Amino acid sequence: MEHRLVYGGIAAAAIALAGCHPSEGGSTAVKPPGLPSEGTISQVPLSDFAGIAMSTLGSDIANPYEGQPQAAEDGKRLFVQLNCAGCHLYSGKGSMGPDLTDDFWRYGGTPANIYKSIYEGRSRGMPAWGRALPPEDIWKLVTYIETFGGTVPPNRYQAGLQGDRPNEQVAPEVARALAEETPAVTGPIVPGVPRSAAPMQASDTNAAEQKARNETTNGATPATPPVGADYPSSQPASPGAPSKP
Amino acid sequence: MPDIRNTSTHGRFATRAFVAASAALLAVGIVRAQTSGPATPSPSAPPPATSANATAVPGAQLKLNFAPNDPPGEWHSQARDYANTRYSPLDQVTSKNVSELKVAWTFSDGTLHGHEAAPLVLDNTMYLVTPYPNIAYALDLTKAGVPIKWTFEPKPTPLSTGKACCDVVNRGGVYVNGKIIYNLLDDHTVAVDAKTGKEIWRTKMGNPENGETMTMAPFAVGNKVYVGNSGGEMGVWGYLAALDADTGKELWRAYSTGTDEQVKIGSDFKPFYSWMKGKDLGKTSWPPGMWKHGGGAVWTWVSYDPDLKLIYYGTSNPGPRVPAQRPGYNLWTSTVFARDADTGMARWAYQFTPHDEWDYDGVNEDVLMDVTIDGKVRKVLVHFDRNAYAYTIDRATGEVLVAAPFAYLNWSKGIDLKTGMPIVNPAMEPKPNIKLQNVCPPDIGGKDWQPSAVSPQTGLVYAGIFNICMDVTDHPQSYIAGTPYDGMEMQRSPAPGGNWGEFMAWNPATGKKVWSIKEHFMTMSGSLATAGDLVFYGTADGWFRAVNAHTGAVLWSYKLGSGVIGQPMTYLGPDKKQYIAVYSGIGGAAMVSSKMKGFPARGSTLYVFSINGESPHSGTTQLTTEGGAAAAEPDATASGRH
Repeated sequence: MEHRLVYGGIAAAAIALAGCHPSEGGSTAVKPPGLPSEGTISQVPLSDFAGIAMSTLGSDIANPYEGQPQAAEDGKRLFVQLNCAGCHLYSGKGSMGPDLTDDFWRYGGTPANIYKSIYEGRSRGMPAWGRALPPEDIWKLVTYIETFGGTVPPNRYQAGLQGDRPNEQVAPEVARALAEETPAVTGPIVPGVPRSAAPMQASDTNAAEQKARNETTNGATPATPPVGADYPSSQPASPGAPSKP
Repeated sequence: MPDIRNTSTHGRFATRAFVAASAALLAVGIVRAQTSGPATPSPSAPPPATSANATAVPGAQLKLNFAPNDPPGEWHSQARDYANTRYSPLDQVTSKNVSELKVAWTFSDGTLHGHEAAPLVLDNTMYLVTPYPNIAYALDLTKAGVPIKWTFEPKPTPLSTGKACCDVVNRGGVYVNGKIIYNLLDDHTVAVDAKTGKEIWRTKMGNPENGETMTMAPFAVGNKVYVGNSGGEMGVWGYLAALDADTGKELWRAYSTGTDEQVKIGSDFKPFYSWMKGKDLGKTSWPPGMWKHGGGAVWTWVSYDPDLKLIYYGTSNPGPRVPAQRPGYNLWTSTVFARDADTGMARWAYQFTPHDEWDYDGVNEDVLMDVTIDGKVRKVLVHFDRNAYAYTIDRATGEVLVAAPFAYLNWSKGIDLKTGMPIVNPAMEPKPNIKLQNVCPPDIGGKDWQPSAVSPQTGLVYAGIFNICMDVTDHPQSYIAGTPYDGMEMQRSPAPGGNWGEFMAWNPATGKKVWSIKEHFMTMSGSLATAGDLVFYGTADGWFRAVNAHTGAVLWSYKLGSGVIGQPMTYLGPDKKQYIAVYSGIGGAAMVSSKMKGFPARGSTLYVFSINGESPHSGTTQLTTEGGAAAAEPDATASGRH
């Protein structure tokens, strides 16, 4: 599983976007942002959640330096100093490493996705920078990469997963189905709750049932639990419910 | 049959070739064979301008040694012989019938990366080594459909794919004592049983986490196999090593930088020029400590003189590619070494580009021949350097006899033959953080690794070369293991003339271009010369061509599915007919031109040609395939690995 926790020793991290004391990163004075915690970022999956049609997790994490020109400038300096440009080119258009300017993202193109790719590295030669760089510097690199114009805004996290483009049309049946599905995971997952204990979705349930199920699936703890939702961890799979293919 | 055609016979087919040349010019229309002088600025006068007729081809008087004298219809190593001639004695396909070449059969290996290797053929079996993930195939040439005999999947780590500078290429295998031996991208050398496809040994030669990869084809002499590393842009410590072919055990390793002991320099090291004499120059010609990540990777060809018992090979650019960070000559990068083939001890060296400021690796092939110069027969090596000078060097002493530009350049105003030093043009020296425009040639040189061929029939050496310049901005670098130690920001564009490529015939005795064919796209394929008075090469946009070796007249062009950066070869089938094979699979450094209009898609197909496409592999009945193994499902197309 690609989205296993790689941040050893990080325990419960239930609070997104809050409370972290920022340290000064880099040499240039940039307004210290509130940084998402490692634990929160770690829970942004590399792929879709099994058994959950929708998740807002990736949308919850914005780049704390979003839109700050000085941070982008610092990121550009780091991009050259840390030899990023050697692989991705000074133009960002890619060579040994992938193009960072287009809108194709194997590992996701939201700020949180890109942060994770830098932090964790990737299996085809991208080194992991998470122990070499402070989080501030990684976010500044993300800020610079966003200036290339091909990244995915947090609010299009789902669209990015599904391969959507901003100006596309949507078939009415698909639009209807999407509108009926409510994001099930609106906050971080509580570590330690085994996902395997969660019920599987039945493929033939109606939308309302599916919505209820989504809200209670896979050990997810909504930041604000929906009214009437059962805590899911001990709920056994429905007898006879077919597995998700 | 190595010794029957080893003297020059230029002019022999003059009349016939003239007719063919004229016909080809009318028929093809795409390319023009024409004579062009050396690029400017040039220390020597250009050759007389003549059109593509066959009168008076001024080839050199030369003699070739085709040891180890493999059977004429076989191809056991990438260059076919120790001298790196890439010359085949097969003569069934000639300028008379070459226009009848048609596809006899094809094979797709499923790997969509740059295909730079030549197939090997022996015992009616063809052996292929693919780019990453470095699958080896044995194909049965005796059966209809050329079925797979065995498939070997070494499964190198995907980590290595992100450490290779210029696509995840492989330059092929070598046959030694019943084994196919080749290098994996992740720094292992493997030996596979040629009969069964079973791994016999695997030796770890380096660590991909340090940016080190392996792409070169091993070179074998007797029971020794020579291998080296890639990664001149990654701050690796370059080396050439000798392995025992039976066991894979490393016998010695000679680094390209460091102390004399590390470089294997001893008392019998006698460079011709005084500035390369001294103790520990591989260390002291660098700022303190920088030699440790100084590059000097060894990633292409080795040649061997069985009389002098010396091997020859070149080393890559120094690292980082920002020269301001490493004042000094940066020995022994961008250098040719002559070493005792047995002990590895250096006998002489010559640094083509001291303190290389432009990424002019010295890795290109060294073709060995005996050439008559000023009435004297000299044992020489001929080397088309990335720096756009062609060198004819006394291979016993390291003395440069001829150095003349073969492609457009402006970094230098010539080579001083008294000192062996290039005369550098100060205006073309990059300075940190300043954009320098129109430096020629660019990092990939006037010619890259794509090997030349030589014909004893013409006395000419044939090579695909480039006509490219760059705008360059140097960015000072820190060494961070596993990341590029590079610093060159570049934009490349064609040099005057507008063509990116050219295929040329070169006289190694005079240092003059005899004819050349301009190509709009890069000419990054290897060359093949045959006793049929033909030379073969391919283009980045996928044309595979046959040329009259005397005149440069294009006699045949065939459009392949993808671009050609592989090395054409030729063999005799079980039916004793001549076949010509080449991979079609664009990639490698040719991707610097990938935004050109008409640039082809990737490919993975070996094309094999014969006269009229005839072979036992096709027919008018329901032929079927009796394979010995299934194909591999490489890389991204494998089940679950997409």
